[in-house]
Formats: sequence, structure tokens, C-alpha cells
Amino acid sequence: MNQRRHQAQTPFGIDADPYRDRRRRVPPAVIGAGVGLALVLCATATVGSLVRGAKERLEHPSAPAEKVAIADDAEVAYCTPEFKQVLQRVLNACGLVGGEQRRGCQPADVKTFASINDADFNALFTPLKGRGAVVLFDENSDALDDGAKKLLEERWADRKGARYFFVVARASRDGTTEGNRALSHKRANSVQFHLHEIAPDDDLDKEVGLLWLGSEFAQLPSAYCDWPNSRAGKRCTPEFINRSAFVSWVDCRL
Amino acid sequence: MGMGRISPKRAAVVALVASSLGLVFAAYSTYDYAVQLDRQVHAVHCSFIPGAPAAADGDNPCKTALFSAYSALFRATYWGGVPISLFALGAFCFFAAFALYLAMSGSRGSRWGWPFFAAASLLPLAASVGMFFVSVTHLHTLCKLCVGIYVSSIALAASAFVGARADKREREDLATAATVPVGAPPAPASRDSPALAVLWTAGLGVAALLPALVYASALPDYGPLLVKCGKLPAPLDRRGVLKIATEKPVKPVLLFEDPLCPSCKAFHARLLDEGIYDRLDVTLALFPLDSECNWMLDRALHPGACVMSRAVICGGNGTKARQVLEWSYDNQEELEALAKQGEKALLGKIGERWGSDLAACVSSKAAAAQLNQELHLAANAHIPVSTPQMFLGEQRICDEDTDLGLKYTMAQLAPEVLR
Repeated sequence: MNQRRHQAQTPFGIDADPYRDRRRRVPPAVIGAGVGLALVLCATATVGSLVRGAKERLEHPSAPAEKVAIADDAEVAYCTPEFKQVLQRVLNACGLVGGEQRRGCQPADVKTFASINDADFNALFTPLKGRGAVVLFDENSDALDDGAKKLLEERWADRKGARYFFVVARASRDGTTEGNRALSHKRANSVQFHLHEIAPDDDLDKEVGLLWLGSEFAQLPSAYCDWPNSRAGKRCTPEFINRSAFVSWVDCRL
Repeated sequence: MGMGRISPKRAAVVALVASSLGLVFAAYSTYDYAVQLDRQVHAVHCSFIPGAPAAADGDNPCKTALFSAYSALFRATYWGGVPISLFALGAFCFFAAFALYLAMSGSRGSRWGWPFFAAASLLPLAASVGMFFVSVTHLHTLCKLCVGIYVSSIALAASAFVGARADKREREDLATAATVPVGAPPAPASRDSPALAVLWTAGLGVAALLPALVYASALPDYGPLLVKCGKLPAPLDRRGVLKIATEKPVKPVLLFEDPLCPSCKAFHARLLDEGIYDRLDVTLALFPLDSECNWMLDRALHPGACVMSRAVICGGNGTKARQVLEWSYDNQEELEALAKQGEKALLGKIGERWGSDLAACVSSKAAAAQLNQELHLAANAHIPVSTPQMFLGEQRICDEDTDLGLKYTMAQLAPEVLR
């Protein structure tokens, strides 16, 4: 005790470390236990805080969830509102939507539902030049030749992200209006029948939209002879190009 | 003291440093795990340098380890389970404090201190050895935080054993040097009993368990969230999908996967490691994140994934499709590198492994058409453009429930799968 008291009385009148001896008396075991307890409690409190923080963020997210792209049909640049309006009306009127039995549309229907003149109607399909093709028929015939079948099969196989396959059948102005309506209807059906042959398992009724335009609406000008067709390299006139069915997958969400 | 001899005090300091490092690595690992509990996407720390920023890359070995089936216990009971790093966190706290005690007490401390410390240090060492083998044999990757814990555990055990030996030697030296005067009274009965080891063991147990107990008790209720990610629209055209052979299918599941997607590979491994995959009646729809065939992307996230998807399709229903898929997962890096060289190189590899018939099939129109049908199935189901996607029956499983919450989700929505 005397020595400790002596140590406390320094020339400066104060002990440089008055707790030194008291600290020495604290057993290492107690220090170890204290440090251990403090560490464990600190770690535990931090863990609890982390979990509560996560719970808070879970219940009250600070930022809206990041938008993730959702899988859907293709939608490309040519899908203008006007084009989609026409196609949508084809789908509705021709039985692809709603499960009606009716397939295809009457020429008069097109004029009614499309509310569009011939040139504008054809212009809507212009961007499909590289996607679709023109299947050509002989005069007054609805039979697909080998070239037509091959082209149709190629185009059908090249579906990509499209949901609907459109067939727009026409007839040249030779013959009567009634006869040409019937002929273009048969041409559209020929295409569909062949699709049934090459894709028997596919649910064609929900995928293929048929239009038969006869000869009185949206005749193709000779410029369409440049489009991919089933008789490439052969002579093409306005009559020839309208004895046809334009076929194409359409990459629009309808 | 000779050059080759190390004092117990120095060994204790080394053990203290090793424990502290282990504590820091375990703390980072625990932090990375706990922040995921909010079901949002977070970066994961993956560095040997404590305090280094979290890794920005999407997939790193630490993320693989974190989302693996081996990173937590009681996964079926708690969403995400209880991460094993929590036990390490508590245990390293204890070891750090005990090392401090040994460093301060020297030869005045209990003679049971060092033997206990050495024996106890075998626990983190054994856990580290076990996890190391799991990493190498199952995860095929080593996470830096995990390696930090392994190295800390090794250093801790090594210093503990060296210290125990040095302490024993020092005590023997002291005993030899000591002289007891004739006629002196007997030394007072020592309170230094081996029973102390029981007390310390209890302390170690409490330290290791307490953070885990608090963690488990504070977890939110995830049950209602499991069914909030939508359902399959009905009816759904399932043409083109593959039936995958499994051992004892008890629950139908529809999986959208990409053979070259690392997340799909990890998901597949989780399903296998948890024993879930072979209890599922798996219908597989390929969903390659490759713009060559998938119109939903403007660039290829996984070049070659379309080719590999067609290869899986060409495996047909059953066992072979699964084999091709698993081969693709096992060789993702090589296959993706080949894909970057061109389709021909990739087809060559496929032909080399699976034969020319399958390679020819991969280039066929039929395989392309079937893959297109599967992509349309994804479009019709309006799934997120990411893989993997899982539908348990008709119920879409949220992305976060396919990784950390997988086993808990199964336990809640399809307990028969875990039986």
C-alpha cells in the first residue's frame, strides 16, 4: 500500500496513470470474457439490425421494382397504327379472334372494315417485301405449282416472332367480278390447305388469316413484280401479279 | 528462447489476428447474405481485401457460393435458411476473445486453456475443410470470402496447436526450475480444473448460436410472397416442349432454361443438390437468350445458345435431352468460346461429343421450328425475358425463390417433393 501511495505522488503531484495498478488486478479471464461478450453481443445486434433492415426494405421498398422485359410476340417498325388497325379488323372479321367458325372475308367486308383506298391498302403491306412473297397461279386456276409450294413452305418456316400468317388472295380483272371473287377465295383456300399438309399439328385456325379480294379491290400494280414470287425470272404483267396470293408472317402484336 | 521456438504469447497473438480476420470475412459473408432477405438484387463482396467494394459483375464465385445449397442450414424451415457464416461469426468472436485471454494470461492462466483452444480450433478447421471440398467438388469455384475464412481457420488452428505445445513446454520448464522449501506448507488447492473446459465449450456454443438464433427469430414471414408472381395463362399451347427424364416425379413443373446461361446452370445444380430435380415431373422449354433465334432480344446475351438449345431438342424427350443439357451446363465456357468462333466450330464440338446424327439434327428445319414453338410458348406465357423461369404446376415461382428461397418455397408449395 505504501509503495502504491508513493507511486501516486509524483513530482507533478498527480499520478501519470492512477488506474494502472487497479487494471493490473483485473484477471485476464475477466477481460477475455468481457471482450468476448461484447463482440458476440455486438455481432448479434448487427445481425438483428441487418435482418430488420431487410424486412423494412421488403415491406417498404424505397425504389420501384426494376422493369423487366416480358416475353411477347415480335413488334417491328412497320407495325404502324394504321397497319395494325387493318390487321386487327381482319382478325376480328375473319374469325381468328373469338373462335368463330368463319374463315376469310368477303371483298365487300374489306372495303367496309378497312375504310381505306386501294393504294393505301397496298402501301401498308410494302414493308413486308422482304418478309413475305407472292405465290402465283395460272389463269383461272387455284392450283399451287411446285414453285408455289416451295416458296410457301419457306415462308411458313420463317416464322420468327410472328403470331399471325396472312394470306391475301387476288384475281386479275379477266372474267366476271363474281367469278373472280370465287377464284380468289379458292386460291386463299389452296394456300391454307397446303399449310395444313405441311404443318398438320399446328393450330392453323388461330394463326392464319385469309383475305380474298377478288378483282375489284386493291389490285397490285406491276411494280409488285419485283417482289419475291414463285415464278422468279418469268414474264410478269399486272394480270400475272394479281393471279396470286400474297403470303407473309406479320411481326406485329395484335 | 531459441530461434525455432515460439512463445505461447506470440502464438496467442497470431491466433488473435487469425480470429479477427476470420471474423471480418464471416461478417462480410453474413452481410451479403442478410441483405438478400429483402428479395432485391444486390452486389456481393468478393475480395481478399476486407472493405473492398462489392463485385459489380453479375456472376462471381462468391455469388455462386452464396446461392448454392451449401451456404445455409434449415433452408426448408426458413426462407434462405440460416447462413453458416453466422455460426462462424459468433465462433470467431469467441476465438478472438479467448486468444486475447491467452495472450494476456501467459503461464499464469489455466493450464487447460491452450489444450481447449487447440481442440476447439479444430471445429472451424473441420468446417473449412468440408466447405473447401464442397466448393471444389460441387461448386467448382472458390469464393474469396470463403477462402479468407478457410485461411483464417487454418492459421487459427496452427497457432493454437503451436501455442498449446509451447505452453506445455513452458510449464514443464517452470516446474523443473521451481524449488519447494523443505517444511513449507502445501500449496493451496488450485481452482484450475478441467471442468473449466466445459464452461468454455458452453461459451463457444452460445457465441456460435446466438447470432443465428437472433437471425432466425427476426426473419420476415415470406409465405404470402411465394404466390405473388403470377400463373400460367390457360389454356396454353405447349407444342414443342420436352419431357425430361427424372427418377421419381411427383410434381409437374415447367422450366424455361437456356443451356448457356450461368444462372440456369447454378439453378440446375441447386435442384440436384437439394434432391429436388428428380422428384419433379419436368417439362422443359428452351428459352435461349440469343438474338439469333430469339426475337425478344436485340443482341445475344449468350451467343450459341440457340444452337445449344436445338442440340437439347435433338436429344428428344427423356434421358438424352437431359444429358445434352447437363453437358452444355458443364462446358458452358468452352461452348460459348466456340460459338464466338462461329456456328461451325460449335457444331463440330457437338458432333464430336454426341455424334454426327445429332449434329445434323441441330441444323435441321424441324429443330429450328420446334425451338421457335418453345419461344412462342414463352411469349404466350408472358414470362420475364430472363432465365431460368420455373412454374410449379401453374404457379410461377418468383426469381428470388428459385435461388435463396428454393427449398423453403418447395416446402411450402410442394412439400411432397421434399419427402
